[in-house]
Amino acid sequence: MPDTHFYRYDDYDRTLVAERVEQFRDQVRRRLSGELTEEQFKPLRLTNGLYLQLHAYMLRIAIPYGTLSSRQLRKLADIARKYDRGYGHFTTRQNLQLNWIKLEEAPDALAALAEVDMHAMQTSGNVIRNVTADHYAGAAIDEIEDPRIWCEIVRQWSTLHPEFSFLPRKFKIAVTGSPNDRAAVRVHDIGLRLWRNEAGEVGFEVIVGGGLGRTPMIGKTLREFLPKDELLAYLEATLRVYNRYGRRDNIYKARIKILVHEIGAEKMREEVEAEYAEMKGGALRLPAETIEAIAGQFAPPALPHRPAVVGAVEALKLEDRDFALWLKSNVSPHRLAGYRIVTASLKPAGAPPGDASSVQMEGVADIADAYSQGEIRVSHEQNLVLPHVAVEDLPVVWRALGRLGFAEANVGKITDIIACPGLDYCALANARSIPVAQSISNHFASLARQHDIGDLKIKISGCINACGHHHVGHIGILGVDKNGVELYQISLGGDVDFGKTALGTILGPAVAADKVVEAVDALVGTYLDQRGEGERFVDTYRRIGAQPFKDRVYAAV
Amino acid sequence: MPLFREAGIVEDPWQKLDDAAPVPADGLVLVSFTRWREARAALLARRGPVGVALANTDPVEMLASDVSRLDLIVLHFPKFSDGRAYSQARLVRGRMGYGSELRATGNVLQDQLPFMLRCGFDSFESDQMGFGEALKRARTLFSVVYQPAEDGRATASLLRLRRRTVHYTSST
Amino acid sequence: MAKNLSGDLTIASANRLTDGVVVFLDDAGEWTKRLDRAAIARDKRAGEILLERARAEGFGVIDPFLVAVSEDDDGVIEPISLREKIRASGLTFDAIAADAVRYA
Repeated sequence: MPDTHFYRYDDYDRTLVAERVEQFRDQVRRRLSGELTEEQFKPLRLTNGLYLQLHAYMLRIAIPYGTLSSRQLRKLADIARKYDRGYGHFTTRQNLQLNWIKLEEAPDALAALAEVDMHAMQTSGNVIRNVTADHYAGAAIDEIEDPRIWCEIVRQWSTLHPEFSFLPRKFKIAVTGSPNDRAAVRVHDIGLRLWRNEAGEVGFEVIVGGGLGRTPMIGKTLREFLPKDELLAYLEATLRVYNRYGRRDNIYKARIKILVHEIGAEKMREEVEAEYAEMKGGALRLPAETIEAIAGQFAPPALPHRPAVVGAVEALKLEDRDFALWLKSNVSPHRLAGYRIVTASLKPAGAPPGDASSVQMEGVADIADAYSQGEIRVSHEQNLVLPHVAVEDLPVVWRALGRLGFAEANVGKITDIIACPGLDYCALANARSIPVAQSISNHFASLARQHDIGDLKIKISGCINACGHHHVGHIGILGVDKNGVELYQISLGGDVDFGKTALGTILGPAVAADKVVEAVDALVGTYLDQRGEGERFVDTYRRIGAQPFKDRVYAAV
Repeated sequence: MPLFREAGIVEDPWQKLDDAAPVPADGLVLVSFTRWREARAALLARRGPVGVALANTDPVEMLASDVSRLDLIVLHFPKFSDGRAYSQARLVRGRMGYGSELRATGNVLQDQLPFMLRCGFDSFESDQMGFGEALKRARTLFSVVYQPAEDGRATASLLRLRRRTVHYTSST
Repeated sequence: MAKNLSGDLTIASANRLTDGVVVFLDDAGEWTKRLDRAAIARDKRAGEILLERARAEGFGVIDPFLVAVSEDDDGVIEPISLREKIRASGLTFDAIAADAVRYA
């Protein structure tokens, strides 16, 4: 079994997870006996990852910084098989959701997770949630420092934090280690951006109050440069201000973004800095040794030298068009010339986006063992990533993924759709999103056409809570309910790539479910007719504006 | 409502004073934050111990200069899910260095005890069945903590540093 | 043909505590997975009584509530709202089969 190249639990971590499972086992017992009411029990089960959906409890398993060992992925497959219906869904926050868990079996499922150093702590509820990073972390060319080190440091500090376990609302933190922000830090409650100042020191830009959902907002910079060893003190100060002053009268106004909006960024900064001034240099300061001990565990694997150019690969590229397309869309550069980052597309034509069966998960684990140092990443786009594949191994990996149905050459293309679970699963939804994704995916299945259309991110949410991140889709689709009928509102021009964060603008009146494909077709048609040299869909939209798209869509539907 | 300390259920010797009622000359007197602000001098001048009960929106910082003269601070959880009193508790215990009884009232339930104990609470008003038993066990639920708080427990981080140091010295 | 779409007809539903499964209150006051066995309240007052009864039988389920249904000529009931239709009948697409190597 390959050694992992990310944080390894020690006995302290294992003990804490085990104790949490035992505590929850007792809480479940007391709920089932009626000793605890649902109102008293609900936050206890939410902070152990159990969220009641339409048909059953959903267990949201944390995958810290989206990084998994093959052993862990196999265990997830096993748990899905034993405690669920043999499949799971990888989410936009790099977690795994199992949709059919029984409460009475949940403690056993959590104990099984604990065997491979995994848990479901704080993946739901009004607590600090799973801290997300860039899914190319540790492998990307443009990285200043591996953000996962900081995700782990924040993970520990935030786990069972006695002061912050009953916040006004959920709290989401993201970290990017690269100037090309692939972690969407500006739409999180706190975003942390590692950067190097003129003196050559690496520190954090701290951004606060971003978020999507009902009131999408882009975060404000609270602190331009924060020394790394003071990160926890600064976070504690910020969370304390939020815990004390965040609104608790209205759940739709309870996120930190509303507090920042209401008191202003300047006042927020004043409050946080005042609190931080008292904490800085104290018990939360991170000793260099502590940082190094954790950082060392993320040291990249010593990858043997492999050739950058391989005759067999070049030949296959010429012979096999599907392979050539796959190389273009699903394979990205690695910091080492002899390697690539491979994305396993969990968006086969017509399939529910982001889902994988237990067999498929095991298949990916096997490929990771043989060809990717035993490591897998979960992207924010509901795909899986193999971060260290040698160029020489690309053909065999392509074929192996193909057997699983995960080699569709559509990463970043129109059928690489992000969709929330929607009304099929979720009690909050107004409309379904998965069938919409499936119909778009089937309509645009042709790979040649997809590659001609180029990069186009469609994001679908089944309600205003925006778990599908529709606000930041090039094409965003929001399901709404009007008099019991599902309608879909289309927006254009959202973006979270390349350090840009833009919210889409609504095109016009919502369209019926059976017109969505035609609407998307009209949008694509407008783009293809009007595009300039090298322009992606979103670039053309930015150049020509909404009107041409609007005209064509509403003529068609 | 029953009052608990870790050792078990206790009698409450404190007299809760109505805001309008006159301040008794002696005895243990618990006043609201409003009353404290109005009558602070008089309260501190009298013979008996003084306690202050705060709403979870009251600025606990205003007690900073007087904490050494208070024998009871009472903080409130209007609903168990309203976590503001945890921050107040930590400020009182930690930053302000308050060393006497810190009491939790309101919707106080056993499943929040590990957090409350870590934040420095040492007495609890609760009518939940089984609360006393749970309080006795609450400190044993978690033998590992990740973050520093007002219970003086060593964090995993600190223990790891110590362990590494020991390892170095013992191998030379 | 569905009739009674006014919302006068209601049934009581909840999620079962142990496993989250969708259940309906039947005439005997027990919780059943079968929609066709749900006790039907035929006016507003009957609905209130049904909900009270559901809450009284609340041990073992979470937060019972009323669901508006329509009834056809054969007495077959169906929830009116899409959400409740989906709650009663399940996913509207094919999830990947357990042990499937590929989706389709």
